[in-house]
Amino acid sequence: MPERVDRDGTPAYRFLGVEMTRREAAFLGLGVVFLFVIPDIAGLSDSLQLSVIHQGLLFGFAAVGLNLLLRHTKLTSFGHAAFFGTGAYATAVLARYAGVQSVGLLLLGAIAAATVMAAIIGALSLRHTGLYFALLTLAFGQLLYAIALGQSALGGSDGLPIRPGPANQPLLFGTAFSPDVYQVLTYYLTVVVILIGLFVMYRITQSPFRNALDAIGQERTRARFIGLPVRRYVWAAFVISGIYGGVAGGLYAVVRQYVRPEGTLFFLRSGDILFMAILGGFRTLVGPLIGGVVLIFLQDVGQDVTQYYEFLTGVVLLILVYGFPRGIVGSLRSGGIVNTRLGELRREPSVLSTWGRTAVQSIERKVTAALTSLRIILFGVD
Amino acid sequence: MLEARNLRKSFGELVATDDITLEFGKEEGELVFIVGPNGAGKTTFINLLTGFLSPDEGSIILDGDDITGMSANGRVDAGIARSFQVVKVFEEMTVRENLRTVVLTEQGKTWSLFSMADGHEDVEAQVEDLLEKFRLEDAADTVAEELPHGDRKLLDVAMSFGLDPDYLLLDEPTSGVSTREKEYVIETIVEVGRAEGVTTVTIEHDMDIVTEYADRVVALHQGAVHGVGPPTMLETDDELRRLLLGVGEDE
Repeated sequence: MPERVDRDGTPAYRFLGVEMTRREAAFLGLGVVFLFVIPDIAGLSDSLQLSVIHQGLLFGFAAVGLNLLLRHTKLTSFGHAAFFGTGAYATAVLARYAGVQSVGLLLLGAIAAATVMAAIIGALSLRHTGLYFALLTLAFGQLLYAIALGQSALGGSDGLPIRPGPANQPLLFGTAFSPDVYQVLTYYLTVVVILIGLFVMYRITQSPFRNALDAIGQERTRARFIGLPVRRYVWAAFVISGIYGGVAGGLYAVVRQYVRPEGTLFFLRSGDILFMAILGGFRTLVGPLIGGVVLIFLQDVGQDVTQYYEFLTGVVLLILVYGFPRGIVGSLRSGGIVNTRLGELRREPSVLSTWGRTAVQSIERKVTAALTSLRIILFGVD
Repeated sequence: MLEARNLRKSFGELVATDDITLEFGKEEGELVFIVGPNGAGKTTFINLLTGFLSPDEGSIILDGDDITGMSANGRVDAGIARSFQVVKVFEEMTVRENLRTVVLTEQGKTWSLFSMADGHEDVEAQVEDLLEKFRLEDAADTVAEELPHGDRKLLDVAMSFGLDPDYLLLDEPTSGVSTREKEYVIETIVEVGRAEGVTTVTIEHDMDIVTEYADRVVALHQGAVHGVGPPTMLETDDELRRLLLGVGEDE
């Protein structure tokens, strides 16, 4: 049962090692409910498609894993699609060549493959830090991409379908469902996996292991001289983050029932995963997940609106870096300007007139300045 | 006992450590100070002992075992801790978190993925103990990068002590500290070091401090041992005085 604790004066509750105030618990509850009702909401609007949100959550989940490296060890991996792709392709290969039909087994296969891959790539690239580490991860990612493209057994650029068994579909609970039901059920499976994954990640980030990773990220030399075998710790973190990618990739394959190198292993996907973590707020736990949904949604909408949708991503990135360096969740949590203003308003409603005056004054100033500039342009310096 | 046997290290043409043979901790808990002019190879010597650098020749012996090839973190486990001339602490952590990280590491608990970092009672007790010994209680919840310089130095040293070392090598623990705080920092080190029987090897430029606290003084010059002796050596050895202070006989 939840145990009552005190956090700086506000009552908080601790359950299974997760400590939160009532407010936070309410937010969490809302979030979970929201995740579960998305299939119902998505039916209401054309622009809001379940498959898009689902994909966003999956890539976002990979970003949650990447974030363990980014946030704590301060290593930037540019190749995390490698693990997403490994998970996805492992699923496809198992379904196609081993005839595995159960979703559970397929996912276990994805996890195993991603773990091995992360262990190898980690061991080879963690000899370096900073730019060289980033480049190595990028290189290994592209290597896997090239292998997937070149191997006819892996379907080359066409990719592989995941349609095992007589039902042409992986089995959930040993049963084949109609495609619509299958989509919704796999979505719920994703939600459950994500909730478990977030819980595990939360516990990891409260553990002594996280202290070791933070120490390594903040002052690597000192970390060595307090007795930490630095590379072993970073390697462990790398493998854990790779596993998150593998789980996400495996689910992606099960859901889409098709994997292509372009969609899973290409280096732009690595860029997306990294971008998601930053967009959502890499100093937070759920930020990368939200970043994932937002980015995939933007890309999807953008694709409908303009053929230069990559441009949109660029603009979002610029706004983010200059305006909200903490990302979506980071900005919301730290309050930012909106919350401060709302707080002022709640305490003292008359502050509204002050704002009005300030706004008018600043507009006046701007107009005067603009007129002066205009006069100078038209008539020269007076 | 920690021994250096015929250690040599050069960087290109420059011989930074020239055939140094020394031993520390013959008497447990002794306070040794290393003195010498700039470029005498004091820091290089400590870097060799702690595994930050590996020697070109010679060996390092800890209690009879050759540890020359041992990794830096392995040496910490074996009981050799150090601090750096420029403070190296975990800047984004609070003082308490810095110490907690050290104690968790020392107790081998950092592989625990699912326990609470602040939930180990024995660790917390040790952290409180360190905070008290180094008089850092008031700053316990301050983020390291916001600490005043003196406290940063103290935190740095407290972290080294938190490793429960047998040998502690301190590279200028008082550098950049104001004269008033200097005494305070060094006194704390001496006090805690004596109480816990830690053999402390300290690089120090302030000769008043050396004279007051040293059990033994090692003087280095141009990478080699110029002399080893009691702190009175600083008064009696004219050549050493000239080297350290630039005071010549003709002055």
